[in-house]
Amino acid sequence: MSEADEKPLPELDLRLTEENPDDLYEHAPCGYCSCLPDGTLVKVNQTMLEWLGYAREELVARLCLQQLFTVGGRLHYEMHCAPLLILQGQVREISYSLRRKDGSVLPVLMNAVLRRDTEGNPLLIRVTLFDITDRRKFEQELVRAKEEAEKQQELLQRQNEQLTRINADLDGFVYTASHDLKQPIHNMAGLLAEFKAIATFHDPEADKMIGMFDQALQQILKTIEGLTEVVQRPRELEQAATEAVDLLPFTEEIVRSLQPREVKEVFTLDFSAVPTLRIARTALQSILYNLLSNALKYADPSRPPRIRVSTRLENEVPVLSVQDNGRGINIERHRSQLFQLFRRFHPEVEGVGIGLYLVNRLVAQAGGQIEVESEVGKGTTFHLYLPQ
Amino acid sequence: MDVLKRNNVRISGAGSQAMVFVHGFGCNQRMWRLVAPAFEAHYQVILLDLVGAGQSDLTAYDPARYSSLAAHAEDIREVLRTLNLSDVVFVGHSVSAMIGVLAAIQEPALFSRLVLVAPSPRYLNDAGYTGGFEATDIEELLETMDNNYLGWSAAITPMIMGHADRPVLTEELNNSFCNTDPTIARHFARVTFLSDNRADLSLVRTPTLILQCAYDALAPLAVGGFLHQHIPHSQLVVLDTSGHCPHLSAPEATIKAIKAYLEPVTSVSSL
Repeated sequence: MSEADEKPLPELDLRLTEENPDDLYEHAPCGYCSCLPDGTLVKVNQTMLEWLGYAREELVARLCLQQLFTVGGRLHYEMHCAPLLILQGQVREISYSLRRKDGSVLPVLMNAVLRRDTEGNPLLIRVTLFDITDRRKFEQELVRAKEEAEKQQELLQRQNEQLTRINADLDGFVYTASHDLKQPIHNMAGLLAEFKAIATFHDPEADKMIGMFDQALQQILKTIEGLTEVVQRPRELEQAATEAVDLLPFTEEIVRSLQPREVKEVFTLDFSAVPTLRIARTALQSILYNLLSNALKYADPSRPPRIRVSTRLENEVPVLSVQDNGRGINIERHRSQLFQLFRRFHPEVEGVGIGLYLVNRLVAQAGGQIEVESEVGKGTTFHLYLPQ
Repeated sequence: MDVLKRNNVRISGAGSQAMVFVHGFGCNQRMWRLVAPAFEAHYQVILLDLVGAGQSDLTAYDPARYSSLAAHAEDIREVLRTLNLSDVVFVGHSVSAMIGVLAAIQEPALFSRLVLVAPSPRYLNDAGYTGGFEATDIEELLETMDNNYLGWSAAITPMIMGHADRPVLTEELNNSFCNTDPTIARHFARVTFLSDNRADLSLVRTPTLILQCAYDALAPLAVGGFLHQHIPHSQLVVLDTSGHCPHLSAPEATIKAIKAYLEPVTSVSSL
């Protein structure tokens, strides 16, 4: 025998002996009742009688359990609980409201088990009921909050659908407009060429003016082409498959197409941290082409351009950065307009204001986002976050 | 669409004539567990779940389509036609009693007998008609359902929805036996309790047995009398049991009453 077993039992608190099963049943902190299979009450404890305000003889053999519920609860009991009791022998955590004798209601949670006789026929239903007045209030708050959230979600979805529709309409409009404008502009260019060939001007300013006219025509044609691309490119890419693009040869190719001769001095490429990216090839082509050509275009005339294209991992997300030492943009002032269509920040340089808009759209379409750092006179860096 | 899968149709029994059992609101085909097997010796027994209930295809529950009982009646006809059946004995409980009435009016050749268990053509009281309930009672029922579905959709729906082919799993869940998607249950409750099929009764040509419980909170005795009075070839039998589900509370009496009614048919077919 171990030492622990020899230890004398602690002296029993005498008050504990006063607990007896009958009293526990009658005054338990929950309602107890027993019913015949049809619900007729045969035994009800004192706690439940006090809750309801009935005398025992008013309930026993006179009323059914389900008659103590509100009408809605009774319907639920007959259609759901009564079948369940027979089919699975018990129900748990059913939420009902008891109707007191004075007509007021008491929210309860009900557990019930079905007892069967030796032949397996239903004999008795034992029921426990718990007062859940406060819990019910809280639940109703939850239900209301849930309904409210669902309503808001529905509203958001509707607005979202509306915006998507408007966006598609706008794209359609831009596409149609650019298409319809292209033909007359081409006609004008043709007519101007014809005009130059046959007309003789006496004013020495005329040649200059015709040159400006020609330039304006080219500008408007470029705008129209840009517009077409803005609409067409993302549409094409919706179907385009993503693939692992090897960044170094890919970027070198773009650099060559931009500035075949000065590559070595101007561009630095470093993709050692993330050598490949999973993205639609044509999307990356448009993105890099626009960013790199911008970097060249907006170079500061007072110093030779230096453009660094690199990758790194930030919190597992690949980041593609394009850094230049160009004119820079006042980011505080222009941040919200940076990626807007036709928005230009260097009017002294030729351009139509489409490139960054397109880049932003393509990056968003690829599931990524763009961050910009810039300082006037120092240069600009675009960071493209492209989750894989 | 596979209508047999849609309505989770289960076939058992041996017999040239078919008997189809359709459950009411609040549960599924398992409700017939104590009654249907008694007919397997002489009938081909067909059990099904109404779309939206039990193991039916919940994705087929389009609230617009199922906003009237007629859609369920069409489903039943579709099932019977798919199985190439005619002269079927239709046994429908509660709301499905009226679904059977509608199906038999739409396509009488499919049915030889209707057995309406605890039926009601209209639950709401009306001028000169006692249905037993006021509109506020039905709102209260919906509220009770909501209280009992708290947290249900979040915790249980994915399990039931994702494993419709694994009934074992759903039965392990507390009280899940007769549960279904709360949104569907709510909608179906409305359709059930706000429907009014009184005008259809006189159009029934199929011989009909009305099985009523003596003490049914959902269908007072007067409702049984009303049905008997308005369905032309009908017979009314009142079962001495209480509650709304005699096929569960008094299965023996229910079987006996149905057999007694079908007896002439069975004896003819067995000759």
